[in-house]
Amino acid sequence: MAANAAPITATDSLSQALKANIIPNQEYLLQGSVLDSAVEVLLHRLRGLCDNVDAGPETFDDQEVCFSLRDPNQQSTPLTLRVRKALDARDMPYQLRYIGQPDLGDKNRPTVVRSSLDIACSGMLIEFLNELGCRIEFEYSVKGYMFRKGRMKITVAKVFKISQSSMPPEPISQSYLVELSVLAPQGQDAIGEDMRAFADQLRPLVQLDKIDYKRLGHMSVT
Amino acid sequence: MQREEKQLEATLHAILNRVNDLKAAIQALITKLETEYETINWPTFLDNYAILSGHLTGLSKILQNELAPSLRSVVVLPLQLGCERDEELARLTEGRVPACTHDLVPDLLRTKPEPQAEQRLQQLNHKASTLSYDTAQKQVAQFTKVVSHVWEIISKGREDWEGESMRSAGIQPTHSIADTHALVTAVGTGKGLRPGMPPIGPGVGTPGMGPTRGPTPQMGPAAPTMPKAPSAIKTNIKAANQIHPYQR
Repeated sequence: MAANAAPITATDSLSQALKANIIPNQEYLLQGSVLDSAVEVLLHRLRGLCDNVDAGPETFDDQEVCFSLRDPNQQSTPLTLRVRKALDARDMPYQLRYIGQPDLGDKNRPTVVRSSLDIACSGMLIEFLNELGCRIEFEYSVKGYMFRKGRMKITVAKVFKISQSSMPPEPISQSYLVELSVLAPQGQDAIGEDMRAFADQLRPLVQLDKIDYKRLGHMSVT
Repeated sequence: MQREEKQLEATLHAILNRVNDLKAAIQALITKLETEYETINWPTFLDNYAILSGHLTGLSKILQNELAPSLRSVVVLPLQLGCERDEELARLTEGRVPACTHDLVPDLLRTKPEPQAEQRLQQLNHKASTLSYDTAQKQVAQFTKVVSHVWEIISKGREDWEGESMRSAGIQPTHSIADTHALVTAVGTGKGLRPGMPPIGPGVGTPGMGPTRGPTPQMGPAAPTMPKAPSAIKTNIKAANQIHPYQR
């Protein structure tokens, strides 16, 4: 009898999950930076504040490539997709990520909110994206430390420009990028307050803020 | 007559209340001093003195009140003194005065200072009045000097202490807003990361922007450099593909 019942497909369970609003597809984000000279102090403080301190800070070394897919008939903003690969753990899958437009909201909203979808992929991903017509926009590597505090993720990482020759990668600036983020289902805005509180504990060492890189880009053009 | 009596009673009642308040405050102060002298917070302890002085002011205000003069015309006449213990009196005074003795009554009913104290006060007053102006001036100057010296020592110590705590807080900045912006824009839009582009600097603004991004020659204010851009990007993409770590 049971065999006659329609099998539950992946699409079914996905739409069910969507309906129940349990998919963590919103990223709450705060960004900041710390100068190279002060990064040790920050790491020390984070080790005191965060959960995963027994084994020492977790390191990561990733390479990220940003692809864009544009619709030739439209002048709209091209779709961008990001592919991430761990350089220090080659057997880990590639990560394909879509990040939506950051929504800063008004002054009362504590963090940036943007939609975010992640999926693990095989190494065929790059070819697949090329076949789709995606082109590489830019790439960089990030190397640094990762901390956890409850649902919050804190990364302290150096961003490098990928050099074409065998030259060692060149850092973008004399600072480490600091990001505090949480992935949560839609409507869980309370987490933003927790993040604010945590960010306040890192002051004045690091100033974690809502930063709109789109507006910054405009500012530098004009 | 009855009215006056009533008034007197009310005044006495008010004074009694005030005195009781004062007594409670002093008791609290002493208890604190005796039981918490190791952990006491001295600034709050000093507040207790303010409470005491408040009660004293209240008391003297009542005594200065126009109702008070009637008290002056009231006479207290000790009729009998005795050495035997008076339980009623001991209870009323919470065990402090067990009997109405010759020893205590003169002190309790005293309206003038003790003769000895009066004498000493007079001596001092005399000494002060006979002091020459110059000597007095000299002594005042000396005292001022000592006080200002102590003041100097204290303020220097405070300066050192505050300076130290400032230094430990870190005078040099630990983060730079410009770096934050550079990093966030680089990761978000690839500014300064595009192959074949010079690093962040003036004149390379357009490629970082969403709609005007990439090889769309008809767009962007940096038109003169645009015709070149597409080819440069294309060749670079090829070059990048060859050494690309993701490629299999």
